[in-house]
Amino acid sequence: MNAPLTPAQAAQELFRQHGAAVYRFAVALLRHHQDAEDVVQETFLKLLRHLGAGGSTENIRGWLFTVAAHALRDRQRRRVRWMPWSEHHEGIVGPPQLRDEDGRVSKLRDALQRLQARDRLLLVLRSQDLSYRDIAAATGIRVTSVGRLLARAVERCERAYAAGVETDKSRAIKPERHGIL
Amino acid sequence: MNCLNDAQIQAVADGEAGDAVRVHLVSCTRCQLRLQERETVMQTIREAMSLPAELPRDLNLRVERALADGSTAGATRLRETRGPRWSWQRSIWSAGAVAAATLVAVVLVAPLVKGPATVSAAEILARSATLLAAQASTGVEVLEYELALDGVPREMMPDHADGVYRVKQIIDHDANGRYLVATHGPGGQLLSSVAQDPTTRRRVVAILVDDQPYRFDFDVPASVTLSLPEMERLHMQASVMMMQASGDQQLHVIDTPNGRQYRIQVPQVSAQTSTAMWDLTSAEVVVDASDYHIVEFAVKGAFLKQPYSVSYRLISRTLGARLTADAFEVPRDPRAIEIEGEGSAIPARDLLVASLREYARLKTQREGR
Repeated sequence: MNAPLTPAQAAQELFRQHGAAVYRFAVALLRHHQDAEDVVQETFLKLLRHLGAGGSTENIRGWLFTVAAHALRDRQRRRVRWMPWSEHHEGIVGPPQLRDEDGRVSKLRDALQRLQARDRLLLVLRSQDLSYRDIAAATGIRVTSVGRLLARAVERCERAYAAGVETDKSRAIKPERHGIL
Repeated sequence: MNCLNDAQIQAVADGEAGDAVRVHLVSCTRCQLRLQERETVMQTIREAMSLPAELPRDLNLRVERALADGSTAGATRLRETRGPRWSWQRSIWSAGAVAAATLVAVVLVAPLVKGPATVSAAEILARSATLLAAQASTGVEVLEYELALDGVPREMMPDHADGVYRVKQIIDHDANGRYLVATHGPGGQLLSSVAQDPTTRRRVVAILVDDQPYRFDFDVPASVTLSLPEMERLHMQASVMMMQASGDQQLHVIDTPNGRQYRIQVPQVSAQTSTAMWDLTSAEVVVDASDYHIVEFAVKGAFLKQPYSVSYRLISRTLGARLTADAFEVPRDPRAIEIEGEGSAIPARDLLVASLREYARLKTQREGR
């Protein structure tokens, strides 16, 4: 019979299972590798404390994302304090280059950046395949509201995407309309 | 059952729908189409948000180690260092290389940070920028460093055949504005030397041009409100703030025989489309983790659209140095052409004006007027 895991061993095991997902989540929202790494460490060291204090391991994935989401908010607040012009942060961490011949993915990324923080948070959590229950835990909203709020976030994202496309179109036709020469 | 609302369609796409919803979907072509569209949108969003699947290796190791240690103290930061106690800062300048010397200023800045210093790259840069405005300390400070210049600052050196220089600086923090800066070429020859002493109101500049030494001796005004080192410090502060603003700082922890260092790289400081007068396209600093002083600094960019690059590497630094009285004197060269004049707050302008006046005087003398 195997001996029960110590809190440190359990935390290490959970880090191996969920560390990458928490990191992706942090990078997607912070777009800053170093801050994201800090969030990951902070999250798993809190997990260690949680386990050491005999905390529940039920829905630990939701617990991890909840802690990470709080750490993200702290980090964003701190960043604003240090960097009042933090909008320049946006778009800093380069996402992987995808085949994007028609520019659809890059326009969608722009659209996502224009969303409200909660909409973006919901979409990032969902893109990490979190269940509605986990999303609810991480965001502090009711489970029964997650689907509705996600649907709205998707709609707003689509509108932001369409607006970006329209802007590009209007820019594209300006030279002809006004006649540069 | 009526057609599904958006939340229900979303729930089906997310695998969270109840039985009744799924039953309706089987028989409703319109809802099936809506579901298909929503699934496509969600897939595209996932693609747009796709990120590397793996953890960075160094993060993986650090977290594994921290968890294995079982230590939960100070759990919110990766990097723990002792907060520095001593507070000193100074700005300096390298003769002739205005932009280059500016970079040096930050090297001489020590942080006034109290308490634990467990900072991210952005915070290190923020502190550096803040500390540039801090007060100078006391005593004499001696610095030696290597400068590699290209572009604008190199053109400003008296002899820019080679862009690598070794610079020695002596700064008296007890006498504001008293300093000596000597710049040597790669062969060890003295290219330029500048010494200023506000108590005697003198500034001496020695330069070597085409192997001919020149020595300028200026009377300087008592109140030079903003010295060149201070101007350069502001310029340096702006550089650091630009790095800070980029947000794309990459921080690496390096363990060296001399202790731990942080390397902060910013691949693209300014916006690629920037048309700014001064533009940094990349920058890198190496910071001593024990006290946060910068030991290396390298930037590339453009000033007035002229490309330039500067890299700095600290060789040695001595605080509280005990030197003889002539340490702040520029040595005399018997071959030097000596010129005297009135100085101002702008040393480079003084050299030009004094040279032209001397030329005019000699011309007049030669023409017998």
